[in-house]
Amino acid sequence: MELLVDTSTEAGSDAVFRSMFAARKSVFIDLLKWDLPVLAGQYEVDEFDNEHARYLILTDSEHNHLASARLLPTIRPHILGDIFPSLCAAAPPRSPAVWEITRFCLDRRLRSGERRVLRNRLVTAIAEHALRSGIRKYTGVAEMAWLQQILSFGWDCRPLGLPLPNGRTMLGALEIDITPETPALLEAAGIWCPTMHQKPQARRAARA
Amino acid sequence: MAGFDIASGFVRLARHVQNVGDLVEAISATCASMHIEYFALSHHVDFRREGSSAIRIHNYPPAWERWFDDHALGRSDPIHRASHLANTGFVWANLPALMRLTPEDQLVLERARRAGIGEGYTVPANVPGEMLGSCSFAVESGRSFPEELQLACEVIGAFAFEAARRLTQSRATSFNQVPILTDRQRDCVLWAARGKTDWEISVILGISHETVIQHLKHARERYGVQRRAMLAVRALFDGVISFSDILKR
Repeated sequence: MELLVDTSTEAGSDAVFRSMFAARKSVFIDLLKWDLPVLAGQYEVDEFDNEHARYLILTDSEHNHLASARLLPTIRPHILGDIFPSLCAAAPPRSPAVWEITRFCLDRRLRSGERRVLRNRLVTAIAEHALRSGIRKYTGVAEMAWLQQILSFGWDCRPLGLPLPNGRTMLGALEIDITPETPALLEAAGIWCPTMHQKPQARRAARA
Repeated sequence: MAGFDIASGFVRLARHVQNVGDLVEAISATCASMHIEYFALSHHVDFRREGSSAIRIHNYPPAWERWFDDHALGRSDPIHRASHLANTGFVWANLPALMRLTPEDQLVLERARRAGIGEGYTVPANVPGEMLGSCSFAVESGRSFPEELQLACEVIGAFAFEAARRLTQSRATSFNQVPILTDRQRDCVLWAARGKTDWEISVILGISHETVIQHLKHARERYGVQRRAMLAVRALFDGVISFSDILKR
């Protein structure tokens, strides 16, 4: 059974965070070869992993990481605004109601069938989080192949600028509108798949 | 940033198109504003064999489509094959750098030129678990492809492909048609894809030889295929097993 941790409303346990940072190292550094800092040889943690970031983390019933995403406030330093502003034709969007989706991470131990389910759960959790917390728009930087997949989720996306070459790939920037219609759009694309929130007693047990 | 204005204009149109005809019109108008004569948005399949859920819209000369289908080029077209190797869009002039062209490929490209289709730019458009696809833009023979519009085409191609997916419902069918294998069947398919015999699989998994034969037989039945090679290909295509599953260790 999958559980969802939303760090904006509940404290994630150390075990869940460790498991997520290790999964991020495995995906973004070992697999995708992104040039990112490694902490203690096993965790991918950067300057944006601070108290302002929010995390949505899907775990199994033993609190092992299955999938996660990091949300950054655009009114503070973030990836599009501070590292890739040239991906935007105009100024990068910055507002309390606009957050950036970063480090969308599916655990490498997942089988391919499970990956699709966890991906759908994570996209759903991201949309639900916005609707619950008053976020009206997400932004994000993505390689073009991943960007095509983001479009396929069915939500309302617009390009923020023209893509730019980045090594052997190309990066593009998107904005995604989140409105009360978003769940129906995700549903129509076969993505919508809500997950139960981690129960308070389970959380206490995990922290003990 | 003129290219971006054109791309954004297309994205606005694409959001509201209600049918394939409107989408064709939106892409045509956008291409016309860039002085690009041709476009083709397509899944890479043999269209004489499977038509219904696969996407193909284009404004190439009709004679070219006939010749293309007569030669079953949906799957073997060199531009389509190259797009499977590319991470991003590419100009057709760079094709030889992406892959080795066979004499037949050269013939296909020559025939396209004679049909009036000149230099082009192709954007790969792949959604995991679905048929591979691409969106191509081309100018008339004799002109070179405008370099300053390539990035705009990258954006237009991505959004056009998604709009086509939405309108043709190809995304709905692709999710529902995936057969469900049991964990044991999947394990057997995985080891078969790694090249093991039924007997070897039985030793690896610690089950009887007869059980392995039954698991693979049932898996083939669920996919409606006759042979284990086809079973492995279908399971890969659906994402039931992955290339890294097969190639690791």
